[in-house]
Amino acid sequence: MAPARVAVNLGEPAFVLHSGGALESRARQTFAVPVDDLLVARARKGDLAALEKLYRSFERPVYTLARRLTRTPHDAEDVLQETFLEVVRSIRHFRGEGSLAGWIRRVAASKALMKLRAESARPPEQELSDELADSIAARHPGASPGAAVERADLETAVARLSDSARAVLWLHDVEGYSHDEIAAMAGKTPSFSKSQLARAHARLRGLLAPGAGEGPCT
Amino acid sequence: MHLSIDDLLSVRDGEASAEAAAHAASCPECAAELERLRVVRKELAAFPEEAPDRDLWPTVRAAASARRQLRRWVRAGWALAAAALLFTVVMGVRGGVEAWREAQLARRTRALVAESQKLEYALRSLEGDSRVMKGRTAGTICQIQDRIALIDVQLGRTGPDRAASLDELKLWQERVQLLDALVNVQATRTAYVGL
Repeated sequence: MAPARVAVNLGEPAFVLHSGGALESRARQTFAVPVDDLLVARARKGDLAALEKLYRSFERPVYTLARRLTRTPHDAEDVLQETFLEVVRSIRHFRGEGSLAGWIRRVAASKALMKLRAESARPPEQELSDELADSIAARHPGASPGAAVERADLETAVARLSDSARAVLWLHDVEGYSHDEIAAMAGKTPSFSKSQLARAHARLRGLLAPGAGEGPCT
Repeated sequence: MHLSIDDLLSVRDGEASAEAAAHAASCPECAAELERLRVVRKELAAFPEEAPDRDLWPTVRAAASARRQLRRWVRAGWALAAAALLFTVVMGVRGGVEAWREAQLARRTRALVAESQKLEYALRSLEGDSRVMKGRTAGTICQIQDRIALIDVQLGRTGPDRAASLDELKLWQERVQLLDALVNVQATRTAYVGL
């Protein structure tokens, strides 16, 4: 059966739930989960078995996105749970004009950004312990030693970014959201999103190649 | 002068001016920095997928079930409220119609009672003449008076405090008709005697 093309038009201001056409082609493949129309129709009627199947299909992509945007695994689990509570609550409002994956991804991103806003009282930069750095390195057992170290370094460096810089970096460079879309989700301006992306890359440059500094190309 | 990271990101994302793109293509240092930005993006996209340590579906399912149950109760509540409202409206309309009918009945009965009193008054003025009448006429008058007396008995049974009823209305209608007939007989007799 063909993947569902489902659109959302929810009135909830926290989410402007529509999926962008060009945007989706740039989105991570992990969110390109095929979902058949029948399953969506059953889920819309509140069929728990269908909703569980959707959960199982999107559990890892949503958790991964949440994990990249939030600070801790616990926060990411909160985002995963809140995202699917929102899906259960709102899926009956689908009109069938966009992709289900695009909608779920946007809900997850919005929930993660809300989580970050709620956690904004905490220090902006996380000091990584050796234990956390080791755990990041340990997550790359399949890669060659050199590549594992590089990827672990990058992951560690990303984790050291400020919340907003890390979120914009991930949403723009990996998820493919435009600065306008990120601004709408985060309640900021596109200029803020652009500046955060530039800061994120400058900081990564400084963290990954300490001798090169963080400034622009000199 | 090299490109800033902002400019390099614009070049990487295909949003830069032609001038910035040309500079990135011709300047080895900016080209290297641009390549670094591309590699970082590629490496970020290659980060492994992660899974939560625990299964959160039972929690989501419990919340979904509770929500469904709440929706059922809300729907049942609305249905009950709608039924109660409908019952109230029906009873109200029905009560209103009945009240209107009773008022109409009472009004018509009062009119017949007044008409009856008027005819009795006219009858008393005609009965003052004590001259002889034909036996046949006297028989007719007697029959009518008997029937009126019978109606009066029936009206007396219903009592003075009873609400106006259709039966009572019919009795009063019949009484008025009989009195009217009696008045006609008396009037005819008086006129004949007068001749």
